[in-house]
Amino acid sequence: MRYKSIALTIIGFFYANVLMAQSGGPDFFRSIGKIYVVVAVMVATFIGIVIFLVYLDRKIKSIEDEISSHD
Amino acid sequence: MKGSWWKILSVVLMLYVIVVGFLMPLKPGIVNVTPQNLNSGEEVTLEVELYNADITEQNKSQIRAWLIRDTTYILQSQRVNVVNDQLLEIDFNLPEHLPTDEEVMAFTLVVDAPDMGSSVLPSGIFVGQSGGNQSLGAEAWSRGGLVNLSVYKGFGIPYRNLLAETLRNTYFHVSLWFAMFILYFVSVIYSIRYLRKREVYFDQVGSSLVEVGTLFGILGLITGAIWAKNTWGTYWTADVKLNMAAISMMIYAAYLVLRISLADADKRAIISSSYNIFAFFIIIPLIFVIPRLTDSLHPGNGGNPGFGGEDMDNTMRMVFYPAILAFTLLGLWMANLMMRYKRIRNKLDEI
Repeated sequence: MRYKSIALTIIGFFYANVLMAQSGGPDFFRSIGKIYVVVAVMVATFIGIVIFLVYLDRKIKSIEDEISSHD
Repeated sequence: MKGSWWKILSVVLMLYVIVVGFLMPLKPGIVNVTPQNLNSGEEVTLEVELYNADITEQNKSQIRAWLIRDTTYILQSQRVNVVNDQLLEIDFNLPEHLPTDEEVMAFTLVVDAPDMGSSVLPSGIFVGQSGGNQSLGAEAWSRGGLVNLSVYKGFGIPYRNLLAETLRNTYFHVSLWFAMFILYFVSVIYSIRYLRKREVYFDQVGSSLVEVGTLFGILGLITGAIWAKNTWGTYWTADVKLNMAAISMMIYAAYLVLRISLADADKRAIISSSYNIFAFFIIIPLIFVIPRLTDSLHPGNGGNPGFGGEDMDNTMRMVFYPAILAFTLLGLWMANLMMRYKRIRNKLDEI
């Protein structure tokens, strides 16, 4: 049952792609070239979240070091 | 995993935003017109480059075009020739005179085809004249009318000149700012609770929320700068909205410096909690009031955009509202991790 729903979801995504390709004709997605600005914005956001993770990782590491030195 | 439903929700919503936000097509629009500088009295052929236009054999002969100014002065085209499904050649017979004494007037080009809707290039065509006759011009420019404009029936987000595909940044850049504001608001509640109850837990939650909120705000500035470089040609300009956002971030940067500089834990918690309450009420006028009092280059600004204007419609809201929720929940998750670190740190320091 679980696998069936997962499979249906994946098929749903592909079907959406097929629909878009049919209605759009040629590849309008990149025809202006401004879509790369959106990609750059998403990459910047992701990098920001990763920087937060690295910062937190180092803080937790310092706690771990402290605990292991207590033992 | 019980009690983590909101973390899962944040990831599911974020995936929805990325997939649907990227797949939703733009409505048809006008990308480019050559030539843009015309003279009155000329017979001109404009080459109009369309985007996502759906010109079929059926509607080929029914394409109409106008040059308009404030819907008062309207000139209909003589002939529309379809070169291919994205390129039109439109002939205009420009009258001898313009309807005003101005040497150059800006006109808006409107192209209309059945099922494709009306595409607009606002103030993109400039017509010049030498020694005009105002009354003759006004008469010549008032013969046509914008009638029976069609409506695009397909699914899509608005095509805005200048913005084009970057309209999708609304889902990321704008949502980051909204999420930042919600995180700051929640942190103020915890700061007030700390000042009332003096329980260190409330300070841990409040300060974690401010830290994540500030990260989102700085990301908002960076993503805005990336967009500005591409659209305006510069990373930063002295625009009121940009400057006020930068000042807001500096206020919160001062908060972070304040927390680092105070060694005593109780003092740090009390002072930073009070500072946080003041900071929140300062950024409300900085971000929401002052940019609306003057003109701003920033899209969705000037006047009172509220939640509408032409940069937002119901198809966009289907992604935009989930995007705000996704970033807010993600921020709460990040703040939650930071708070748990601080709680353990505090426990260790007490031993």
